[in-house]
Amino acid sequence: MKKRIIIPLAVIMAHFLVITGIIAGGFTRDESVSLDKDAQASDRFTGILERDITLRVLENDTALRQGYFEELLNAFNAEYEQYGIRAVDANMDQYLDLENDGPFGFGPDVLYQANDRIMRYALGRHVQPLPIEQLDCYPHIEQKAWDAYKMTVSGQDYYLAAPVNIQGPFLFYRKSLLPSPDIIESWNALYKFSQERREEGKFGYMKSLIDVYYSIGFLFSYGGYMYGDNNTNMEDIGLARNGAERGAGVLRQLASVMDERCIDFTITQISYSQFANGNFFATMTTPDVYTLFVDELMAVGFTREEAVAEIGIADVPKLPKSGDLSEENPELMPSRMMGGVNGYAISSYTKYPNAALAFVNFATSYDMVMLRNEILGIIPARKDAAENLGELAQTINNHLVEGNIVVMPSLMGQVWTPAETFFTDLANDPFRRDGDRKFTTLESKRLALERLSGQIYDAIHTLK
Amino acid sequence: MKNHRVRKSIDAGITYFILLVVSLIFSFPVLWLLLASFSKTGSIYSFDGFFPAEYSLDSFRRLFTDTVLYNYPQWFKNTLFIAVLSSLIGTILVIMTAYTISRFRFRGRKMLMKITLVLGMFPSFMAMTAVYILMTHFNLINQHWGLVLIYSAAAPVGYMVQKGFFDTIPGSIDEAARIDGASSFTIFRKIIFPLSAPIIVYTGLTLFAWPWSDFILPRLLLKDRDLYTVAVGLMSLGDDEFARFSAGAMFIAIPIIILYFCLARFLISGLSSGAVKE
Amino acid sequence: MSLLKNCNAYVIASMLLMGAGQILYGQWVKGLLYLALQVTGIIFFINYGAAMIAGFITLGTVEGNAWYGIDGDNSVTMLITGLFAIIILIMYFVLYVSNIKSAYESQKLAASGKKPQGIIEDIKELADKKLYKTVLLVPIIGVCIFSVLPIVFMILVAFTNFGGDTVPPALVDWTGFESFKRVLTLGTFAPTFIKIFGWNILWAVLATAFGYLGGLGLALLFNKKCVKGKVFWRAFPILAYAVPGFISLIGFRFMFAAGGPINQMIVNNGGDVILFLGLNSTWLSRGIGLLVNTWLTVPTSMLLATGILANMNKDTFEAAEIDGAGPVRQFVSLTLPFVLFATTPVLITNFMLNFNNFGIFFFLRGGFISEGYFLASDTDLLINWLFRLSIDNNYYSIGAVISLIIFLITSIVSLDVYLRSDAYKKEDIYR
Repeated sequence: MKKRIIIPLAVIMAHFLVITGIIAGGFTRDESVSLDKDAQASDRFTGILERDITLRVLENDTALRQGYFEELLNAFNAEYEQYGIRAVDANMDQYLDLENDGPFGFGPDVLYQANDRIMRYALGRHVQPLPIEQLDCYPHIEQKAWDAYKMTVSGQDYYLAAPVNIQGPFLFYRKSLLPSPDIIESWNALYKFSQERREEGKFGYMKSLIDVYYSIGFLFSYGGYMYGDNNTNMEDIGLARNGAERGAGVLRQLASVMDERCIDFTITQISYSQFANGNFFATMTTPDVYTLFVDELMAVGFTREEAVAEIGIADVPKLPKSGDLSEENPELMPSRMMGGVNGYAISSYTKYPNAALAFVNFATSYDMVMLRNEILGIIPARKDAAENLGELAQTINNHLVEGNIVVMPSLMGQVWTPAETFFTDLANDPFRRDGDRKFTTLESKRLALERLSGQIYDAIHTLK
Repeated sequence: MKNHRVRKSIDAGITYFILLVVSLIFSFPVLWLLLASFSKTGSIYSFDGFFPAEYSLDSFRRLFTDTVLYNYPQWFKNTLFIAVLSSLIGTILVIMTAYTISRFRFRGRKMLMKITLVLGMFPSFMAMTAVYILMTHFNLINQHWGLVLIYSAAAPVGYMVQKGFFDTIPGSIDEAARIDGASSFTIFRKIIFPLSAPIIVYTGLTLFAWPWSDFILPRLLLKDRDLYTVAVGLMSLGDDEFARFSAGAMFIAIPIIILYFCLARFLISGLSSGAVKE
Repeated sequence: MSLLKNCNAYVIASMLLMGAGQILYGQWVKGLLYLALQVTGIIFFINYGAAMIAGFITLGTVEGNAWYGIDGDNSVTMLITGLFAIIILIMYFVLYVSNIKSAYESQKLAASGKKPQGIIEDIKELADKKLYKTVLLVPIIGVCIFSVLPIVFMILVAFTNFGGDTVPPALVDWTGFESFKRVLTLGTFAPTFIKIFGWNILWAVLATAFGYLGGLGLALLFNKKCVKGKVFWRAFPILAYAVPGFISLIGFRFMFAAGGPINQMIVNNGGDVILFLGLNSTWLSRGIGLLVNTWLTVPTSMLLATGILANMNKDTFEAAEIDGAGPVRQFVSLTLPFVLFATTPVLITNFMLNFNNFGIFFFLRGGFISEGYFLASDTDLLINWLFRLSIDNNYYSIGAVISLIIFLITSIVSLDVYLRSDAYKKEDIYR
């Protein structure tokens, strides 16, 4: 009887053994891939253009909508047709997910992005370091702008993108409602003017104060910072340092000349139409929404020319050193705002690095940057372009050099929610009943900022 | 008798009053969004109070003509394709699954029921990474068929609703047919299927509506702007495009409402309509 | 066991080469089918499967470096493809066992002097007595690949160090219970978990009850004899259903905003602005969330209840009416048990959907961090918190641990409820 079992069992075992053997075969494979010691990340840029290829380029939505991208592509394609290189719209979402798309071959070859995004991609080496000295724009751009794309790996500096424009907030105001030019020079004057307008039932400066991107600059202006050692040391969260609480005080005072709508995103959403109908005198935003102001003014009866003439764009006003907006004749200092540098990077997964580099070189040329400014109103990072564009463009470039535009760090994911909560609480304060107010003293603001820093620290480190 | 009639008309009066209130509650927010899409500036944010100051068809015109960046008509077609197919395939799969689990008794059946109940409870966004990588390997990124596949494959997990329905259809009906020599498949096709119109309508409608509002999965799997579904497309609109957003959102409702009106009469044609007497 | 004792040479042939026994018994189609599947399976494993399973165990050995064009290993991909190969392997063994069983069946038939079942009878059987096998095959494969596999993947991620800086191209490793230890020993973690969990349960219960009863109530209302134009009236809730939920939620958010229309009306009538969804409006926000969620969920449950009611026997009602039972009695003792029977699983499913309702507060209120909470707001459900911890902050393995904990709690509770329900215990009651 036993023998009868042994045979089928043996056959089954044999079958299992074969399968196990096949699977074990999976473990033996060649692992001799190793890095050549002398290899350089720039080796891929041989200078020999790939021919008869199509480059997929990702631009931002505004450039597509306003027609700049089409002009850029046409100009590039006309010049590089002789090499058989054609650049096309990558036809993807402007908020790219290169970490997941790139390795699987779905990403673009060239991408226009903000520095924080590019530097996040750089952490996983999803974008290729560029041989920036080979680019024609290299000598024309400030080192500070290049630094936004610098990454240091084992002692060597790499630059991941070529800067195109400097992003930073501006004061947008109604020229016809401006009684005298000094109103927009300092926050103190703007504050006073806003109080006067409130008495007439209208508003002066209006902004959703819970918008971290804009509000955090007030903390920076008074010495606060995001991370220590130039935003590299994430152990050190500096939002409560060096008297940053004075910035919180300024924000609280600004809230008092607005109304409850500054406690959520209402003002951001309604600012264009309220600006157009004269209810709001001024707001702070980035230049890419410029056309919205024009559209809304035209909706209330302005012609295009009138609308363009009516919109004032100015540098962010100066702040009082004391941190008190009600002070008469204060000692002033420049505001320090969060901003960034947008530019072109090349995906590490591109098959045509040289053609991509040619495209970057072309798109950062003087002519294209000037055209970009003309169509999109951006502030060029090229000094030669900025010099030809008047005072504001140069001021912004200087802000970057002097550190008054703080380039956004790439790791902000853990900052937004806690910071938004803090600014919500702060903006709410003037609207609380007398006994309920939380932030009447500098010390209480400092403690709240300490708590905020602690939350950000927790978000970054506790679970690491 | 007269008293009875008075009571009836009071009852009807109250009923209609409640109906009106309910209809208002459900239509008002939708109507409000609809007005936004017809407003001249195209934004609820510039409303004065609840209603826009001026009306125009501009948002709709732009929605369908200005397609360089936001190709809404194409998105609409894409979604329609995905919704129709996944609703068809999904409904067949769900109904068949529910029918067999309600009618057959086999080994592992109870286990299967317990496992499927529990499956739906796992927080699904955590599993998205896995779905994405699987789809890259099946070469189904940037393919509408990939979405159809996932939507229809995921549908049977929700078979319990339909099974509950089949459990309420008396078994005496199929037994009678079985004695007459009909096979299980014939019983399903000839007897159960016609009886289950309401639940098929429910299933079809919910499966059809799902791709119109889901933006997580298509966003993950469709990279090409022209391949987007409406939900992803609308989410990709800039903050300044509220007009289009609400116009586009309103337009999504149309196919779903049309489908409802087409199917409405089947919704109540169950056992009680007297199709089959025991 | 008796199979092993009594099987003959033909069956043993099947053990070695799938389908061989069947072919020897003259079941050509079946035999060749088994053989073809075995050959395909083995070719798959030689070419891909074996390497996939190896990758699953090592999670990669060569780190990629895109700058130098080194592809390297992607640990996450390896984990998933490895799982895929394991599923195929399991299917292969299921097939293998069924192949032996079927050969043994043929042996028994042959021994009793009958002819082994041919392909035509097989097909007939699959369309009748064993219809469930045919029907369930496709859904089960689909569910295994698109539901089970991703879930198993997430469970496995809890045992790795995936997340933070350790994301591809960096190599991920198996770390055992390391992430569990980190979550369970974190002091700030438990108080927040308990607070959110309590609110989450309350939310799920209320949201389910409101949605369910609202839907049932509406269905009954529309079903009343005196209501004319039922299709028309029912269209209003459908209208609400037809607009995608996230769009309605964005609309509601603005409606309740500080500068939204409701506050405009309040201000115009001389009132003060109410921050409905503000930082300190805990219960107000929760209440609004509940109402909005009811608005969103009632239409589907109304549809379902209407469909279920259609199957209810009207004779019983007429009998009850003759017996003098009022509408309330009829509802409590006839309608409710019937509908409840048919929809208990739906109730459980809805409870789970509400329990894991990510969108409602995400779109309605956005993100806050409330006092006394660890990186969470007072309206956050566990899933929102999970999202913030895992996706916003990149801690996938920690997220996986927490979702596993949530999953265990919820699945045990709901399984228990389900197993006690009539819908499970007395499946045949209405048959």
